[in-house]
Amino acid sequence: MIASIAYLILVSGLPYYLLLEKSKLFSSKSIFILSAVMLVGAIALTFFVENKHSDSFVIISYVSAVFSIYKATKTTNFYKLGYYFIFINAPFFMLFEEQGAFYSLSLLVSLIGIFSIANFYEKHYGSANYLYVRGVTLATPVVGLSITLYLITLGLYPPLPNALFFLTYIFNSEVDTLWYLVVVTLYFGNFLISMKVLEKSIFGKTNPDIHYVDLTYRDKVTHIIIMGILVLLSFFGVKEIVSWVL
Amino acid sequence: MEQLILLIPAIPILIAILLGFFDKKEIMPKISIMLSSMVAILALVGSYHVISNGKSIVGFGGLVIYNELSAILVPYVAILGLVIRKFATKYMWDEAGYKRFFVLLNFIFSSIYLLVMSNNLIVLALAWQLMSVYLYLLVSFNVGSKTAVKNARWTMYIHKSADFVFLLAVILTYKTFGSFDLEVLREKWLVMSQNPIEDPMIFVVGLLFLLAAMMKSAIVPFHIWLPYTSEAPTPVSALMHAGVVNVGGILLNKLAYLLILAPAVLNIAFFIGLVTAIFASMLMLVVSDIKRSLGYSTVGQMGYMIMEVGLGAFSLAVYHLIVHGIFKASLFLESGTVIKYARHEPNIPERLSHKTFWDEQKVYKSSKTFKLIALFTTVPVLAFIGVKLVLMEEFFEFNAAMIILAFAWLTGTQLFLSFFKVTKSDSFKVIVGLISSFILVLFTYEFIGLALEHFLYGKDALVFYAAATFNVTLIAALVVLALIMIVGWLFMYKQHFVGKAESKRAPDKNKWKFYRLLVKEGYYFDLFKYAKKGKI
Repeated sequence: MIASIAYLILVSGLPYYLLLEKSKLFSSKSIFILSAVMLVGAIALTFFVENKHSDSFVIISYVSAVFSIYKATKTTNFYKLGYYFIFINAPFFMLFEEQGAFYSLSLLVSLIGIFSIANFYEKHYGSANYLYVRGVTLATPVVGLSITLYLITLGLYPPLPNALFFLTYIFNSEVDTLWYLVVVTLYFGNFLISMKVLEKSIFGKTNPDIHYVDLTYRDKVTHIIIMGILVLLSFFGVKEIVSWVL
Repeated sequence: MEQLILLIPAIPILIAILLGFFDKKEIMPKISIMLSSMVAILALVGSYHVISNGKSIVGFGGLVIYNELSAILVPYVAILGLVIRKFATKYMWDEAGYKRFFVLLNFIFSSIYLLVMSNNLIVLALAWQLMSVYLYLLVSFNVGSKTAVKNARWTMYIHKSADFVFLLAVILTYKTFGSFDLEVLREKWLVMSQNPIEDPMIFVVGLLFLLAAMMKSAIVPFHIWLPYTSEAPTPVSALMHAGVVNVGGILLNKLAYLLILAPAVLNIAFFIGLVTAIFASMLMLVVSDIKRSLGYSTVGQMGYMIMEVGLGAFSLAVYHLIVHGIFKASLFLESGTVIKYARHEPNIPERLSHKTFWDEQKVYKSSKTFKLIALFTTVPVLAFIGVKLVLMEEFFEFNAAMIILAFAWLTGTQLFLSFFKVTKSDSFKVIVGLISSFILVLFTYEFIGLALEHFLYGKDALVFYAAATFNVTLIAALVVLALIMIVGWLFMYKQHFVGKAESKRAPDKNKWKFYRLLVKEGYYFDLFKYAKKGKI
C-alpha cells in the first residue's frame, strides 16, 4: 500500500496537480526536471520494492493521465509537454509492473531529447514555446529531424524503442477491462499529442519575423548521443521481441 | 546464396543512410536508382528460385520468407520503385527537401518489402505500422501547405486506428491459435478448415483483420484519406495508389486460410467491397479534380479487390492489385502533363454539371447505330461464355466466374460509352481496336487469374471458393448483371437517341439532386463539419 502510494506520487503527476501547478515558485523547466528525477526514482525503486498495485491505484493514475492528455493538447510549451508525457504514461508504469520500467526508461531518453530542444528554443527564441517558430523542417532541417524523431518515438511508432517495449508488454499481458482502457488511452493519447505538436512545430510556413538558428556543433553531438541511446534501446527492444517470439 | 534475397528490405534502409552523407543533388537519385536496381535484380532472382524449385526461402529464424506471394509482389514493388525514383529525379528537382524525399521514399519501400516478406505476425505488425509513419511524412512533404498537412493528419488518424485494430487482432490470434508464425498458422487453419468448429473468436479475429485491411485500403467508410492526399508530390501519389493502398489485399491474402474459417467475414467483405466499388466509381465520374478523380477510382478498384476476396478469389485479388497498380501509377505520372495542358486551355476542365444538365443536348435521329453497338459489345461476352462452357464446365462452379463476367460486362459498358464518341467520327478502325482490346483484356484477366491461382494456392483455391458461402447461382448473377446493363443502355438510348423538342426540355430536378449528392461526395465532409460545430 505504502509502495503503491509512493509510486503514484512519483509518476502520476499528483504533486503537480495538487501543489505545483498553481505555484509561482517553480518554472515549467524546473517542474520538468523534477518530474524526470521522480520518474528515475520510481524506476530505481522497482529494483528494491515490488511494483505491483491494486486496480484502484492504476485507476487513479489513469484519471490523472486522461487529464494530462487534455492539458497537453492545450500547451504549446516543450517543457510542459515533457512532464505531461510522463504523467500520461504513468498508468503503463503502474499496470505493467516491473516490465514498465524499460518502457519508462526509453520514455525518459526521448524526453531528454525534448528537453534539449526546449533548452535550445529558450536560448535562441526566448522561450520554449514552439507555436510561433513553425516550419523548422525547411528553415532548420536538423532541428526538424530531431523533433520528428523524438515525437515519433513518443507517438509509439516502431522501430523506435517506446513502441517496441509497448508492443512486447501488451502481447505478454493478460487482457481485461482495465488493460483495454489503459492501452487504448495511452496508444491514442501519446499519438494524438505527438501529431499535434509535429503539426504545429515542424510543419507550416516559416515565420519571416524570426531569425532561424540551426543546431551548433555541440548541440548536434548532444542529439546524436540521445539518438544513439534510442537506437541502442531499439536494438534491445527488437531483441526482446524476437527472443519472445521465437 | 539465396539467403541474400532475404536482405531485400534492408537495402533501401542502407540507401537512405548512404544518402545522408551526400549533399550533391545529382548523386542522390543515382545512388538510389543504382542500388534499387540491385533490389529488383535480387527480387527477380528470388522469384526464379521459388518458381523453378517450388520451394520458399526462409530465414532469420523463420521471421522472413520469400514464398510464392513474395515471388510475385516483390519484383512488382521493386520495378515500380525504380520507375518512381526515375520519375522523381527530375520531377522533384526544384522542390525543397530533395534529400528528405529520397530518404523517406527508400524507408517506405523498405517497410513495404518487409510487409510482403514477413512470415510472422509481429514482423508484419511492425512493417504495417512503419509504412504508415513514412507515408505520413511523405504525404505532408509539402510542409508549407496547410491542406497537405491537414490531409496527412487524416491519413495518419485512419492508419493509426488500423494499426491498433491490427494489433488487437494479432493478440487475439496468438491467444486463440497459440502462434505468431504464419506458416505454422497456415497449416493449423488448413487442418481446421477440414473440420470446421464454431468459435466466435475466429470470427472476431477475422473481422478485425478485415477492418484493418479496409482502413489501409481506403474502403468506404474509411476512404476519406485517399482522394484528399492529392497534394502530395506526384511520385508519392503514384506510390500510394500503386503500392501502399494495396496492403489490405496483401494482408488478406496472407490470412486467406484464416478467412476460410470465418465465411461470415468473407460475406461482409463482399458486401462492403460492392458498396465501395459502386459508390466510389460514381464519385469518380463527377469530381472535377483529376487527382481526386483518380483517388476515387482507386477506392473503387480497392472495393472491387475486397469483393474478390469476399468471393474467395484471393489470387484474382493479387492479380487485380498488380494490374491496377501499374495502370494507376502510369496515370498518376501522366496526370502532371494533363494538368499542364489544362492550365493553358481555358475550357478545361469543362463545366461538367452545366453541360450534362442544363446545356442543349445534341439529338440523334437514328437508333440503328445504337443497336449495332449493343450487338458489338454483347457478342464478345456471349462468345466468351460459350467458349468457357465448352472448354471448362467446372469454371462456372466457382465464384471467380462471377467476377470475370462482371468485369466483362463493366468493360463492355465502358466500351459502349466510348463508342458514342467514336461513331460520331465513323472511325471503323478505332471500333475494331477497342473490341479487340476488350476481348484481349477479358481473356488475359481470366487466363492469368487462373494461372496465379494455381501458382499461389494450388488445390487449396477450391477450399476458398467452398468457404465463400455467398453462393449466388451463376444464372442469378447473370440475370442481375444483364438487368443492370439493359437499364443502363435504355437510359443511354433515351438520352441520346430519342429526341425531344429543345423548347420542351425541362431540367430534371431529381437528377440534379442526385448529381449534387455525388459531387458533394455523399455529404461526407459536411457531416464532419456539422459534427464539429456541434450541430449533430
